Amino acid sequence: MAAEFTDDIFFATVSELSTRLKAKEFSAVELVRAFAQRLEQLGPRYNALALPLTEVAIRHAKEVDKDLKAERHHGTLQGIPFGAKDLLSYSGHPTTWGASPYAAQVFDHTATVLQKLEKTGAVLVGKLAMVELAGGGGYRFPAASMFGPGLNPWDRTRWSGGSSSGSGSAVAAGLVPFALGSETSGSILTPSAFCGVTGLRPTYGLVSRHGAMALSWTMDKVGPMCRSAEDCGLVLAAIAGGDSADPGSAHKSFYYTPQYARPAKNLRIGYAPVDFAEWADPAARPAFDQALAAVRESGAQLTEVKLPDLPYGALTSTVILAEAASVFEPLIVSGKVDQLADAKQIAGLKAALEISATDYLRAMRIRTLVRKQIRQLFADVDVLLAPTRPGPAPKINEPLDKHTPDPKPKDPGLGSSLIPAGNLAGLPALSLPCGFADGLPVAIQLVGTAFSENLLLALGKDFQTRTDWHRKRPKL
Amino acid sequence: MSRKMTRRDLAAVLGSAATVAVVRAQNAPVNPPEDLNAAAKNQLRQNADAMAKVELSMSTEPAFVFKA
Repeated sequence: MAAEFTDDIFFATVSELSTRLKAKEFSAVELVRAFAQRLEQLGPRYNALALPLTEVAIRHAKEVDKDLKAERHHGTLQGIPFGAKDLLSYSGHPTTWGASPYAAQVFDHTATVLQKLEKTGAVLVGKLAMVELAGGGGYRFPAASMFGPGLNPWDRTRWSGGSSSGSGSAVAAGLVPFALGSETSGSILTPSAFCGVTGLRPTYGLVSRHGAMALSWTMDKVGPMCRSAEDCGLVLAAIAGGDSADPGSAHKSFYYTPQYARPAKNLRIGYAPVDFAEWADPAARPAFDQALAAVRESGAQLTEVKLPDLPYGALTSTVILAEAASVFEPLIVSGKVDQLADAKQIAGLKAALEISATDYLRAMRIRTLVRKQIRQLFADVDVLLAPTRPGPAPKINEPLDKHTPDPKPKDPGLGSSLIPAGNLAGLPALSLPCGFADGLPVAIQLVGTAFSENLLLALGKDFQTRTDWHRKRPKL
Repeated sequence: MSRKMTRRDLAAVLGSAATVAVVRAQNAPVNPPEDLNAAAKNQLRQNADAMAKVELSMSTEPAFVFKA
């Protein structure tokens, strides 16, 4: 008899699905077919689907079932369906980067991260929509994508966040158990927060970017977006590791071992009260207060900190624009850049060709100070904590540059600069759902020192044993 | 390395749910108005001004390393 797939399966964690798969409640083919069909049916409802891969996925799932039958076990991800942001190449299939000028682009190689996941027996069921060119030129509207605006499963009049829009929506709507996203400055954390999923931005260089669209060679990272911190750890363990095909590779391994991380009661967590009391949207403050209380319950010591006073926004903008202009120079000078959907992004990329070498080098020299001064900050604390975003997802028809509190708080806190600062310094971050504001998810972020993923994941796991926000499901 | 799209590839794209969005986006190329171009250039100037305020010693090298 064919297995019956209910929401309990579509919203299960990777570990839960793996246990049920190994208990033969269903086969890998049945599981993969159920998710692939759901992604095909519901993905377009959220503008989340770039390319269905149902036929290929079912072929792979048949191989997985053969392995399981022969007791060739490859770990927890074996037989688990997943989606990948359409900036990752998959040999022989279109990879659009979310941008009309690349709608017909097909690569003859597969991204290292996808190869690694396939080796574990995880099954790619579809490519997921994204903001065009990962938003590198700076975009003004959620509709900055050839797939249309990413729609939030919690409320389709709201944005899913970017640039990993489809990855956020697809995980939140139970269309895939996990997805891969990428972050140059905020593109994993933002959709994770807006969609109520758990997202991990790995340390720069920990995960190979071979086969991923380049936006900024010195800042791009690929990472998981999942239902829990535990799942992020399992996926990270599969995709991390050195890769000679990625010049930015740190050639470091990652083993998911949260049990060996320092216990929360021995940790000092730095935060800025102004982030929670003044920068946060009034509607989100009760959720953030509860999140702070849950972190305190863990026994961790919270101490007030300030980020070094450096122009993080200007630095991030200069580095990304300069590198993106070099990457996409042929697109810009050919005039095909005008086919992009967002007028601000077109203007941003065109202007970026004029960034001087001295300005770029100045930005990269100040970035050395960022790294040094943030390292000094971590002498006093183990982890930094702030709201991932100050409030819930904006409406899809609203410009994205209209969301600062009025009047602006005098103290900058951490939150307004932590995403650019953390990305400039190449640090890992974990976004954890922590409640709702106006019926939409909000989240906190934990930022650690380079290669401290196990510590962040252990803290996240601890947080998720005492809260159930990551278990909430949108009504579809 | 990329290659040209085959008819099979094209069929995959045409069969995808994103087709409507592709066509819509391709039919509506947008040229940024002059004020957006000016705003983008102004942003670059503001970035440069903000960075110029940071004091840098000669020994502060860029955050990438050349290896021979």
